[in-house]
Amino acid sequence: MTARKSGSRLETEIERCRSETQWDKIPELVRQLSAKLISNDDLGELLLGECKLQTYLKENPIKQGASPRGPRPKLVEVRKHLTAALDRGNLKADYIQEASLLIAKLCYVEGEYSDALSHYNRLSLDDMQLVGAPVYRLSMIAEAYATKGLCLEKVPVASPALSNKNTGSPASSRSTTDREQDIITCYEKSGDIALLYLQEAEKALSAGIQNRSPKPGPTAQDQELGFFLETGLQRAHVIHFKNGNLTKGVGRFREILRAVETRTTQNLRMTIARQLAEILLRGMCEQSYWSPLEDPPTVSPLDDPTRQGHIHTKNYSLSRRPRVYTGENLFCPQENTEEALLLLLISESMANRDAVLSRIPEHNNDRIISLQSASVVYDLLTIALGRRGQYEMLSECLERAMKFAFEEFHLWYQLALSLMAAGKSARAVKVLKECIRLKPDDPTIPLLAVKLCIGPLHWMDEGECFAKMVIDMGEKAAEFRAKGYLAIGLVYSLKATDASLRSTQEEYQRKALGAFQRAQSLSSTDHLAAFYLALQLAVSRQIPEALGYVRQALQLQGDDVHSLHLLALLLSAQKHYHDALNIIEMALSEYPENFNLLYTKVKLEAMCSGPEEALLTCKHMLQIWKSFYNLTNPSDSGRGSSLLDRAIADRRQLNAMTLPDFSDPETVSGSSSSYSGSETVSPTSPPTSPSPPSPVFIFHSSPPSKNVSFRPPPPPAPPPRPTKTRNRSLSNHMTFLQFSSNWSLHATSIAASRVEQALSEVASSLQSSAPKHGPLHPWLTLAQIWLHAAEVYIGMSKPAEATACTQEAANLFPTSHNVLYMRGQIAELRGNMDEAKRWYEEALSINPTHVKTMQRLGLILHQLQRYSLSEKVLRDAVQVNRWVVKTQFKDFFVSTLGIIFHVVQREQLLTLCMCVPPSTAHEVWNSLGEVLQAQGNAAAATECFLTALELEASSPILPFTIIPRAL
Amino acid sequence: MLAMDQGVVEEWLSEFKTLPDNAVSNYAASLKDKGSLVPALYKVIRENYSDLLEPVCHQLFEFYRSGEPQLQRFTLQFLPELLWSLLSVSAARDPHTSGCIEALLLGIYNLEIVDKDGQSKILSFTVPSLSKPSVYHEPSTFGSMALTEGALSNHGLSRVVYSGPHLQRETFTAQNRFEVLTFLLLCYNAVLSYMTSTSLQSLCQLSSRVCICGYPRQQMRRYKGINARLTVTSEFLVQLITGIHYALCNGEVEVGSKALDDVLYRAQLELFPEALLVGNAIKSSLHGAALKSNNKEGARSIQVEITPTSSRISRNAVTSLSIRGHRWKRHDAVDLGSPDELMDISEVDEGVWPTGVGSDVTPPTITISNSVTTLNLGAKAIKKYRLGVRTSKDKDKEVGPLTTGRSASESVELSIKRLALTSSQSVPKAGALTSLTRTASAVFSRSFEQVTSGNSVPVPSNHTAASEASRYSCSLQEESMGYLSPTPNHTQRSPSISVHLGSDL
Repeated sequence: MTARKSGSRLETEIERCRSETQWDKIPELVRQLSAKLISNDDLGELLLGECKLQTYLKENPIKQGASPRGPRPKLVEVRKHLTAALDRGNLKADYIQEASLLIAKLCYVEGEYSDALSHYNRLSLDDMQLVGAPVYRLSMIAEAYATKGLCLEKVPVASPALSNKNTGSPASSRSTTDREQDIITCYEKSGDIALLYLQEAEKALSAGIQNRSPKPGPTAQDQELGFFLETGLQRAHVIHFKNGNLTKGVGRFREILRAVETRTTQNLRMTIARQLAEILLRGMCEQSYWSPLEDPPTVSPLDDPTRQGHIHTKNYSLSRRPRVYTGENLFCPQENTEEALLLLLISESMANRDAVLSRIPEHNNDRIISLQSASVVYDLLTIALGRRGQYEMLSECLERAMKFAFEEFHLWYQLALSLMAAGKSARAVKVLKECIRLKPDDPTIPLLAVKLCIGPLHWMDEGECFAKMVIDMGEKAAEFRAKGYLAIGLVYSLKATDASLRSTQEEYQRKALGAFQRAQSLSSTDHLAAFYLALQLAVSRQIPEALGYVRQALQLQGDDVHSLHLLALLLSAQKHYHDALNIIEMALSEYPENFNLLYTKVKLEAMCSGPEEALLTCKHMLQIWKSFYNLTNPSDSGRGSSLLDRAIADRRQLNAMTLPDFSDPETVSGSSSSYSGSETVSPTSPPTSPSPPSPVFIFHSSPPSKNVSFRPPPPPAPPPRPTKTRNRSLSNHMTFLQFSSNWSLHATSIAASRVEQALSEVASSLQSSAPKHGPLHPWLTLAQIWLHAAEVYIGMSKPAEATACTQEAANLFPTSHNVLYMRGQIAELRGNMDEAKRWYEEALSINPTHVKTMQRLGLILHQLQRYSLSEKVLRDAVQVNRWVVKTQFKDFFVSTLGIIFHVVQREQLLTLCMCVPPSTAHEVWNSLGEVLQAQGNAAAATECFLTALELEASSPILPFTIIPRAL
Repeated sequence: MLAMDQGVVEEWLSEFKTLPDNAVSNYAASLKDKGSLVPALYKVIRENYSDLLEPVCHQLFEFYRSGEPQLQRFTLQFLPELLWSLLSVSAARDPHTSGCIEALLLGIYNLEIVDKDGQSKILSFTVPSLSKPSVYHEPSTFGSMALTEGALSNHGLSRVVYSGPHLQRETFTAQNRFEVLTFLLLCYNAVLSYMTSTSLQSLCQLSSRVCICGYPRQQMRRYKGINARLTVTSEFLVQLITGIHYALCNGEVEVGSKALDDVLYRAQLELFPEALLVGNAIKSSLHGAALKSNNKEGARSIQVEITPTSSRISRNAVTSLSIRGHRWKRHDAVDLGSPDELMDISEVDEGVWPTGVGSDVTPPTITISNSVTTLNLGAKAIKKYRLGVRTSKDKDKEVGPLTTGRSASESVELSIKRLALTSSQSVPKAGALTSLTRTASAVFSRSFEQVTSGNSVPVPSNHTAASEASRYSCSLQEESMGYLSPTPNHTQRSPSISVHLGSDL
């Protein structure tokens, strides 16, 4: 504490009361004081004067912006005390100063500004000691500076005759700016000393609590700053901002905020932190920013240019300054968003603490106040984090706002949106439900919910509910009505794909078509309505009608990638392969990196121009992949021993180059040793909890270049390269798959474990359910490319190359059913039926809905003539899954069971065929026909072949459902 | 186009070419004085077929390539107008493509995506964390940080990439168009403070048009340019909104609020959560603020008033802070049989959203039993606590700038004061003392236990207990963090256990 030795305990007590502004105790203490020492009468007068003045000010607080109104009777007494204290001249110098300060303050309260000023000038405030001064004196000095500033603002510069300094003549403008600077300096000094005072007072208070024997004194009230200190702390920056001098204002804000917090300044800090954040977000940009520890730029666009010349540098020093936050490794923001965020987090934690929780009516106002101050902070947080795309963090912040959110639509809605943006879809839907309850008339909210339901969540029933809400709004929904029909159409369309019963499927397809037609008629300028109508027609194989609508969609939106893709597929369904290829080429010129288009291109090229072209496209895809994703991990390039690097590096065509077979020692050792870990991940024992190896790279399924977060010290570690560090690569996938809630999950694979589910989805997305939100995870795309290449090689009857390609995919996704299926095909190509059967069985154990595998397995089972063994299993499976499984699954059972039933009972086969929806996979029917024919059942075989032919006539090169359906 | 304008532009085109290298910065500064130049250039860009367009674009690119910030900003001020020119041409499927504008924009993009050494630029920023000291705060003063999964993973400062790396682009395609344009807007937003009001207005106009063309609202705005719908992305809209926000707050209230409305309208139709989120936030944060319209001085509408520093919330209202006092009273008064009830409170208190996971949620019964069983320890505990404070203080005096110790001890003092405050609010005066001691003892014993258990083995339950026994969250957090990321001051902490306990209030 201070070095002042005041002697008696009484004096200490008086000093404490003055520091703690406990004015009500002073009279009693003064009585005790005068009882002890007669010579202390003067001091007593001083104290009484002070205490009466302060009590008066407490009872009649001066309002900000209002001037005190002249002398008042109560103050006469104060003046009497103070004059008496000074009259006899017995006071110590310190006390004389104090008395003068009080008189000056009194003058201000009475409106005698010039008098007050002359007192201050006589005192020369700058000479007053800050070091070693008792705590209360710091407060007096701070108030004195503030009062002086206030007086200077009131008293005109040149002569008292001029009522307003702003009307001063040009000649006096120089002195006006000088005066302005004086005023600001006064306030800044006042603020600094006030902060120091508050810090010291708090220190003294807690020391007091400690030293005072067991009985703690009456608990200190929350100290209130009062008019003068408040003015001193804030008036300087208010003036800066009023003058358009943002640089100085920001600087002052920062000075106040850097001072160590005290309990009394908490509210001030909260407000100032928020205001500074506002300024950083609303009035600054990256280039005009300077960090809190740097000097501000001399010329800044932030300052009012008309007043540029008036910039003054800080020109005062104090013998003692408030303590600021110090220490090693202090975080100092380097960018405006960083600083805004830091300030908002500080502000938020304080606003949060003040959340009024009680809901009794008396506290309504308090609640509103606390809600308002918090929601301003949360809005600013949203602006700052949204700018930087940090929705994950934002959703966490907004969750903390939930204690304010009862019946507050805005907060709920913002939380829902942030969850949605952060990819936390399931919770977003739940919060959206609450939003709908609070604002049932807004069609956007249920539409957002549908978007999530049919997108990442695949919650069709919920989606239907939400979409119906929009439709039920009728005319009220206005422009969103068409969107509502579009949404419900998509729900039905997806439900049709999932449906198991023929009648249900047809019903949904009919409903979907109706909804899309309605949407299209309501909003004829929306290309999406026309496009989805076309897609739905295509799925139900009404090819010419579909072509009409897809053309319409393209007229509305000429460069829509999905419309172009659909057009190409429709042309391929009409067997105009060259036209289809042309369309794909055209689409690729606008979307060169769209892998979906490229897959179709590979297929079409294999059909039209032979496998060499197709392989070239595969190579091109690998190149795109590399340039696209390698960029995110620059250190990965240049050390290629993988097939990928070789394939790209080799100037020859992919089919002409010698692919590394597995006698290549490096690849072999690489694969055998480092794969071992991932190989243990067998289909039967999927790793349930892959240890998350600090996911260095977190890929979201949004554009790959975004949202790559990493920690500062190590430079972005490369994601594992395909060959060497396979294990980590896998576990990274796993982490990715596990944590990515954007992942779409098939309804059928729910029984499988989460990882397995995700993996099978990975694989099945190779097939039909194409990426729903932009490009998939890069590794997945890579695996897809390899598999496409393998398929081309199989078409060329080159098992070795196909194996190599499949192995590359297997390295990335060892348990993908598509990889296993491909291996089965290679085994078939090599004539190894038993091995093929094993691979197919494994593929089915991972994804029991994979139609191609079922078809192949069906044929192999037939070839191996093992009817009796499979019969029981399949019968059971049909019993269990009859009404549940997906279409393709039934196709399989029908075809395979057909073989078995054929031996036993032909009627049963026909019944089965009737009760499941007709498969649009013509190959299945074809296989079934072959089997039946081989069994000598010509009639049934003919039926099957006819169906197959009919379907084949309208079959696109890849399923129409490869085109994503999303709102 | 007037001949005079043409003259101005032509003069501008010729003079830069003859400029010696050392005069560039002076020239850049002098551009401001050419009053008629900028409007003339706007005219050139708007009239797509002007012969001057190509040389102007070329010159603007030269400006940008010069690397002189002022020249770069000169070019950037036309960015909104150039974007609109590009987009409207591509939407109208005009065969007369604006090749030179495309080239200019791609040129700027390709320059900006690499750093000086030609490496791909990665724009990143540090996410501040309250658990790390900064120039504005000290972690110990914020006790009420919820120990969420996110808080754990964000412990410490993490650097996050928000843009980049980007690929070099040679042409605009439908696929990369908005990726490039979004990045260009990001560059524009980085120099917003230097932009003229014409440029800001042009940005707002661009935003409105991009968002409403082809939609029914187009009639409302009476804009008759093109009426084809333009595809947009959510990120692009967010960048537009950032610029609009600046315009709104810096004098362009009318066009700004119109533009914001239009962007929100489009974001609703497209169901873009990101754009809706930011747009709604801006709308709501400006709701109360009276925006000053473009007045003569061009004053910015950033205004600050003197605000009362005392809390505007009445003392007897139950707040997140004061409920702590209430809770302790309840613990003592009610017997210990109602953990559910207590859990409710703590959840409300910390804002812990009841996560579906549930694994972290364990009933906080431990807290209660502790506070009771160790009641008679109270006096000792307090003594010991003081000891702790003293020692840390002594140390402080000796070592001088050992600031962590000092500030920590201060926060303890603070917390004790606050404890006193909270308990006095909820308990009649006479009971204040006992309540205080009880509280303190409980706090102490609890945190002591945590520390000891933490020291022996980093038990996993440490975390879960911490999230529930929320009042310790901060100190516990520090303990548990200590194991996650050992910090040098770990040894410092152990001598004065009591230092940690206070930090939470």
